Amino acid sequence: MSENTGCECACTTGKPDAPRPSFLRRGGWVLLALPLWILLYAVNHRVSEWIAFGLFKLTPKSHLGEAVAFFFYDVPKVLLLLTLIVFIVTFLQTFVSPTKVRNALARRTPGIGNALGSVFGIITPFCSCSAVPLFIGFLRAGVPLGVTFSFLVAAPMINEVALGMLFAMFGWKIALLYAGTGLSIAFLSGLILGRLKMERHLEGWVQDALKAPAMGESEEETLTLTLRIAEAIQGVKDIVGKVWPYILVGILVGAFIHGYVPESFMAGLLGNKTWYSVPLAVAVGVPLYSNAAGVMPIVEALLGKGAALGSTLAFMMAVIGLSLPETIILRKVMRPRLIATFVGVVALGILLVGYLFNAIL
Amino acid sequence: MLIEVFGPGCAKCETLLKHAKHAVEQSGGDHQVVKISDYATMAIRGILSTPALAIDGQLKSQGKVVSSDEIAAFLKA
Repeated sequence: MSENTGCECACTTGKPDAPRPSFLRRGGWVLLALPLWILLYAVNHRVSEWIAFGLFKLTPKSHLGEAVAFFFYDVPKVLLLLTLIVFIVTFLQTFVSPTKVRNALARRTPGIGNALGSVFGIITPFCSCSAVPLFIGFLRAGVPLGVTFSFLVAAPMINEVALGMLFAMFGWKIALLYAGTGLSIAFLSGLILGRLKMERHLEGWVQDALKAPAMGESEEETLTLTLRIAEAIQGVKDIVGKVWPYILVGILVGAFIHGYVPESFMAGLLGNKTWYSVPLAVAVGVPLYSNAAGVMPIVEALLGKGAALGSTLAFMMAVIGLSLPETIILRKVMRPRLIATFVGVVALGILLVGYLFNAIL
Repeated sequence: MLIEVFGPGCAKCETLLKHAKHAVEQSGGDHQVVKISDYATMAIRGILSTPALAIDGQLKSQGKVVSSDEIAAFLKA
């Protein structure tokens, strides 16, 4: 005991000869959480069937039985996957900052700049309330408007958590398809918007802010592994704590579709033989405000009921990528014509992706 | 010292503001906390993600909620 108190005393006074905290204290316990995670994930299917058919005594293959089993299978599954994926993503994101990305994109030529902007858009930590300062900060540093748009389209459209969830739930092909098409939309829409020379459609105060001289820069901090793990844990707490209601709603909708909606109905509505299935998916998806994790159970149920892949991808991209709150925030810096062009180009890209995949798959 | 909290008013920014005020109360020194929600000012100060924290004009962090202990440590330095 005396050794412990001695250590703590040394730590708080910050003597240079203070012993380093133990491996477990430095975040090693996270490694111990992994076997527990695997165990829970492995038994989840059996537990959910036991709850639905054993505990509640529902009949397998009945509407209610299948819906309830879907619900109790998906809630732990999605939450477990989300926890692991958010942990990994937040950990990786501690290596990338908007400032680093901005410096990498400054004064890039169209083409290469749009490609880099789209790729950085996937991984850069970004929340929609930061969209405005980031937008102006990019332009001030000499990132071209078109390249900035590629970034702004890719950031919400190819959601890093959605990418991880798609990979875990549907395999690498669908995940790659999602990333590839999202990148293409971001690349092309940025290239087009850059060509249209729409700088004068920025709000007046933005144009003034672009000319104002800079007042000092922030210093980049270097993080230790312990701090990166601590940030990843904090990220899990923040994100899982915030999105679980969306997930519950998403799983309820998914469970309803899974148990009650007949396959012929879904194949007729969102199948690849219906010409209006893609625009319908986008029109339903845009006003729906959810997040990547919340929409996954719905995607799972739609695909299970025979909805075409193109329509389903279009639906998912519309929900995640074109969100009303972000559009309202961006309206602060863009005049109506620019914001309309922005939304129009992205929506058109999503429609094209939907039709393309419905046609070739 | 002058503590500036930058943010448009989302939940995270309010939390950071609370932490800053708490840190000032704890330290008991002569400090001033200011909240800045003007986008143009943020742009000129080189802020790319909110919430951001500056002490005596020097940006200390952006894009995350710094704890009140960390802010208190900045005030001592």
